[in-house]
Amino acid sequence: MKQLIKYSFLFMVGVTALSSCKKDYLVKVPPTALTPEIALASESDLSTALLGAYSGLRNIEHEGRTLPVFGDLLADNAYQSASNSNRYTNFSTYLYTVADGNVAGFWNATYSTILRCNNVINASATATPNVNQYKGEAFAIRALCYFNLVRYFAKPYTENPASLGVPIVTKFDIALFPARSKVSEVYTLINADLTQAFSLMTIFKNSTQFSKYAARGLQAKVYLTIGDNVNAKAAALDVINNGGFTAVTAANHASYWTNALPRTDKVETLFEVSSDATSNNGFDGLANIYSQSGYGDMICADDLYASYIAADVRKALYTPGVRGGVPAFFVNKFPNTFGTEISDTKVVRLSDIYLIAAEASLPSNEPDALLYSNFVTSRRSAAPIASTGTALFDEIITERRKELAFEGDRYLDLNRLKRPVLRSTNYPAAARTINYNDYRRILPIPQAELDANSNIRTQQNPGW
Amino acid sequence: MRKIILTMLVAFAFVLNAAAQDRTITGRILDEKGAPLPGVSILVKGTTLGVNTTNDGTYSIKVPASAKTLIISSVGLQTTEISIGNKANINATLSSENKGLQEVVVVAYGTQKKTTLTGAVSTIKGGDIENKPFSSVDKALQGGIAGLQSSASSGAPGAAQDVRIRGVSSISASNSPLYVLDGAIMNTGDASRLQTTANLLSTLNPNDIESITVLKDAASAAVYGSRAANGVILITTKKGKAGKTKFRFDTEIGYNNVAYTSERNRPLNATEYINLTREGLVNFGASPATTTATLKALGDSNGVNFNWRDAVLRQGNQQQYNLSASGGNEKTTFYVSGGYFKQEGTTITSDLKRTNGAVRVTNQATDRLSLSVNLDGGFVKQNTPQAGGAFGNPILSSYFILPTRSAYKPDGSLNYLTADFPTSGIYNTLATTSLDKRQLGQLSLRGSLSAEYKILKNLNFKSTYAGDFNTLEEVQYNNPFYGDGVTTLPGSPTFGPNILYNPATTGRVFNYYTRYYNYTFTNTLNYKQNINKAGDIYANLKVGYESQTSKGYFNTLQGTGFPLTLGLQQAASTATPRTASATISDYSFLSQFALLDLNYKDKYILSGSFRRDGSSRFSANNRYGNFYSIGASWNVDREEFLANSRVINQLKLRGSYGKSGNAGIGNYDAYPLYGFGANYNSTPGSFPSNVGNNELTWEENRPLDLGLDLGFFKNRINISADVYKRKSSKLLLAAPLSPTSGFLSVTKNIGALENKGLEITVNLVPVTTKNFTWDVSFNYATNQNKVTALPNDNKDIISGLYIYRVGYDVQSYYLRTYAGADPANGDPLWYTDSTKTKTQNVYSSAQRIINHSAAAKYFGGLTNTFKYKGFSLEVQFYYSGGNYSFDNFNSFYLGAGANPTFNKSSRILDRWQKPGDVTDIPKYIYNGNKSFQSSSSFYLNNANYIRLRNLQIGYSLPSEMASKIKLSSAFFYVRGTNLFTYVKDKNQPFDPEQGSSSFSNLTEFIPKTISVGLNLGF
Repeated sequence: MKQLIKYSFLFMVGVTALSSCKKDYLVKVPPTALTPEIALASESDLSTALLGAYSGLRNIEHEGRTLPVFGDLLADNAYQSASNSNRYTNFSTYLYTVADGNVAGFWNATYSTILRCNNVINASATATPNVNQYKGEAFAIRALCYFNLVRYFAKPYTENPASLGVPIVTKFDIALFPARSKVSEVYTLINADLTQAFSLMTIFKNSTQFSKYAARGLQAKVYLTIGDNVNAKAAALDVINNGGFTAVTAANHASYWTNALPRTDKVETLFEVSSDATSNNGFDGLANIYSQSGYGDMICADDLYASYIAADVRKALYTPGVRGGVPAFFVNKFPNTFGTEISDTKVVRLSDIYLIAAEASLPSNEPDALLYSNFVTSRRSAAPIASTGTALFDEIITERRKELAFEGDRYLDLNRLKRPVLRSTNYPAAARTINYNDYRRILPIPQAELDANSNIRTQQNPGW
Repeated sequence: MRKIILTMLVAFAFVLNAAAQDRTITGRILDEKGAPLPGVSILVKGTTLGVNTTNDGTYSIKVPASAKTLIISSVGLQTTEISIGNKANINATLSSENKGLQEVVVVAYGTQKKTTLTGAVSTIKGGDIENKPFSSVDKALQGGIAGLQSSASSGAPGAAQDVRIRGVSSISASNSPLYVLDGAIMNTGDASRLQTTANLLSTLNPNDIESITVLKDAASAAVYGSRAANGVILITTKKGKAGKTKFRFDTEIGYNNVAYTSERNRPLNATEYINLTREGLVNFGASPATTTATLKALGDSNGVNFNWRDAVLRQGNQQQYNLSASGGNEKTTFYVSGGYFKQEGTTITSDLKRTNGAVRVTNQATDRLSLSVNLDGGFVKQNTPQAGGAFGNPILSSYFILPTRSAYKPDGSLNYLTADFPTSGIYNTLATTSLDKRQLGQLSLRGSLSAEYKILKNLNFKSTYAGDFNTLEEVQYNNPFYGDGVTTLPGSPTFGPNILYNPATTGRVFNYYTRYYNYTFTNTLNYKQNINKAGDIYANLKVGYESQTSKGYFNTLQGTGFPLTLGLQQAASTATPRTASATISDYSFLSQFALLDLNYKDKYILSGSFRRDGSSRFSANNRYGNFYSIGASWNVDREEFLANSRVINQLKLRGSYGKSGNAGIGNYDAYPLYGFGANYNSTPGSFPSNVGNNELTWEENRPLDLGLDLGFFKNRINISADVYKRKSSKLLLAAPLSPTSGFLSVTKNIGALENKGLEITVNLVPVTTKNFTWDVSFNYATNQNKVTALPNDNKDIISGLYIYRVGYDVQSYYLRTYAGADPANGDPLWYTDSTKTKTQNVYSSAQRIINHSAAAKYFGGLTNTFKYKGFSLEVQFYYSGGNYSFDNFNSFYLGAGANPTFNKSSRILDRWQKPGDVTDIPKYIYNGNKSFQSSSSFYLNNANYIRLRNLQIGYSLPSEMASKIKLSSAFFYVRGTNLFTYVKDKNQPFDPEQGSSSFSNLTEFIPKTISVGLNLGF
């Protein structure tokens, strides 16, 4: 027994020695990540976190593909070829459900990017010009995120500003489980963010990052969307007169669209979301869903193609061919597919700003409307617009369709203008007329959000 | 062959210590019927000195002067101890073992007589898992142990296997048991990163395994503390025995085919598909011109009717060869083995080859000190095609590619680079699988060094350092000409012959390297204190200290831009580097433990265990946890009133309770994290990657087990029954967050669930005569799972297809309930709500309700073994039921026109066609009919099945004949594995064995194997 005690004692001493000399034995530091305090401390940390937010914007389900596809497929520009990769079929047929993966993906990816922006905006780093620039860019990205959400998940502001918008989250808080704010409250935040962005930013880096006048251009679009023509025109003219951007001409129109590199020359692009040869969405990028070198599922509708006169340089962006046995007009706006420097997603372009200025000039100032809209037509070798009254208004909207086709704009125009979606016979018979008051014109709040968040559960959009 | 082996053994010759002997004892060992017993072990008690009897049952052993007793033992026979005294000749008769009385089983940190167990412990002998056509040992466990569910989610050679012991105890953390090899905790599971499935256990040769012990309750398992919640599987490898060197050669050769196919769910032929699609286009509203053009593009009347399912399936070869030698002398014993295993899957390009070797040496260095070394190495080369929704998945393509597209051109060459396979659709998988490569090279080295020192007669110290080292080299090569790896220049035609490849990026290869090094350092002191003089009342105390660290290293690279050839397939030949990354991932555990047994004359046994675990996975605030168990057993048959019973020879009552833990989460889940890699313009970008939780700690599991072991008529009837209830709490739950937070979930210790069930094992010997025996072995287990607590006042958590709701099974499906097609117009109908009184054709607003569960409610095995003289017949059935499987892709081939350019399955011929038709398949509309393809109860199928798991007819050569050809034994057999499967639900499209989640995902089909085998001993 004595010996037992002796050996047991020795054993325990040995064990204690082993464990005490290795106090850090149970400490394993994550090798590929930092704690948020360390990751968001310095000026350069914020620069890195900001690029993370841009990369969030490039998510497949956001500006990376789904959002621009929605804007044309749900409208009358892009239809799904019968020979397809089964992507977005439910949006061609208007058969998407509350459980739709793309809808949930869009919602989740956008809020994930909003968090990335919030963390930059709320970071405590000392305000230097660089820190201000980064925070300004983060404000602009956040504004774009909310602008995209509120236009797809809520009734247009032009219908009823007091109707339900989307939840507003401006700081990281997992206990929040927010309910939906009003549409007007969401637009108040968007405008405040863009105003902040405009005042904080001083640097133009290139077309793939927000700059002072890119934020101002986005604000022009926001004002137009809520029907505030005075401010829309003022913001647009501010960009036109003070932004320093130059228009793309008919002669260099083709090369503008084949260029996949970020622009530093301030030609045409106010802001675009970058995909390059290494930072990209692979086969799932926007270019691959349009280009015949990729999946090539999405085809230019016959009536859109027919709307370009032969001389219009934009017509050259579409090439006739045959797909699935049926004649088809292929979209070549994004020719640089995965495997190369990839075509970017255009978000705000100068021609959009001119068309906003034109539309916002109506109904009171028709000469200005003609001036700004023909600034665009003249640079596309298109027929000049010469009409008046509602015909002029319609022609400007049609010009928007022709100029901004396949950039995700058309459906949102039809929504804010409360117009029906009237699709050509390229589309399924059951989904050729979607009236403005059809419940499917607004996306459902995703099932997963309703499941997880009881405060929003009773706030589903009507009809879903 | 013997010479080769002997040469191999020269390495060990120097350790063979031929000590001087004092005298020789000879004798003969017979069975109850007077027949000689070969291969019986004769051992000098207290030493490793021993020999085996020869074919005529005789032996001769040199014993030292100090030798007092001989231990005579053989598997299945009662061990006898005979005092040597002055005798020079010792004969003995061994009677059949009274099972359960003397049997010794491997338990946590040691071995124990089965009678003294207080826990629920099951064992499988090596003989039951040897030579089976399975690529890893976990697959061989199916049906063998009550309460252990082993199911495959893929039939691919080398596939991972889901093993669940007594149900599912966790929602978000691991539900896999802990594997312990010769006392050391192993890394197991699927460590691959590019393969669709792989299994670290596939490098271990089942033929090197002596026994497997499954620890199911607290008393047996809780000493493994924080990792014992899901049960523990102890694997003990074969060791040498003193005596003449014995050689064994085993081989089995056969072939594999798909075990189960449903002709009701076969892919359509060309005519059927075109006619269906025509109907769909008309219903879609397409003009006659568009219909004709679309059909033509889909291959209408092109003269092709290609059966893709036949093309991607094949008959695969199966073979294995195993050779071993074992023996030694009183000081040193050894076991060496080598094996080769090859399995070709039933899908093209799927195969696995394993070569392995093992060396184990034990040396009694002094009276007090023994040393042992185990080394086991296995190398697996595995080719596994894609699975699930990947367009390169051959199984998917067999149901998706149109029968109007032929894999071959009229001249017999592969049909690719043609308009038949547009880039938006599925490639010709026969071309991609032959041109591309998906390969895994998995090397595992497992070894241990162990020393045991007898400090006192009743005090032992044992120290073991064991490690497992796994490397995985993975290659995914996509050729530059055709398929996923191709990139073309802008303006290039999309199919041949004049494709303009982008030379900088066409063709790609992923080269992944993964390395895990895991070591366990265990030190134990074992002390036995006799309380009475006879030594049959005693206490046994074991205390131990254990540290474990696993270090992972991951190298990831991708290159694109191959020269236009098929001859270069490594990243070194590519022009453009794409991905180049490396990282590590580590975890560690530090533990102290104690085990105490109190034994009163083998009648009353009380056991207890305690363990304190610390883990790097948990936050500094909550890093340590304490775990314990208590158990008791009463061997009623040892009481006087039963001692002379002619009916009951065993009656044992057992009970245990305790607390164990689950630490099966990610290595860094507790940290709030900012991750990197969200790069933009090829510049680093960061993002919040993990919410983190400073309070994160162990999931707790509290199992209660009550057991009864009964033996009647000298164990002609043996029954073992257990009831259990185990409660899991502080679940490591990925609690859902509002996605507006930027995260979808946070891991918290929250929620609780319980499993309760019944396990019965029955062994019968209905007939046993001199020449004929019939053995029956049957096991049955039930498990009922229910969630008992959830966060936020028991609020439901909906996770994809499933719901966690208090009072319901954790694998409950939460789906809209399908109500059939509207007879009036063929619309799909769903029940509006749970009352099932109203139907509607709008999917989104139909309510989801609980529709069955994915968890099997009962399962088990039935084995009948007949032996007549040298002949034997073994028939093993496996059955499982009470659950439903969800078919992830049925919506594509039954979706009423969704995804119309993919082929459909023949069940769709039941579709609604005209008013009045009563059917469950709606009207077929090109592009889909009202979201019918969205998940609903329609896509659930009853998963009850019975399978003829093993049918084996064999003949064993009588020993006299065997010895004439210089063999000690010879056995020849024919075996059928998974020969027949009965499936209850005729709508079930695929094999209902779909892993523990019953989720059918177009993985490779489970094979049936017909093989012949030969086992020789010499």
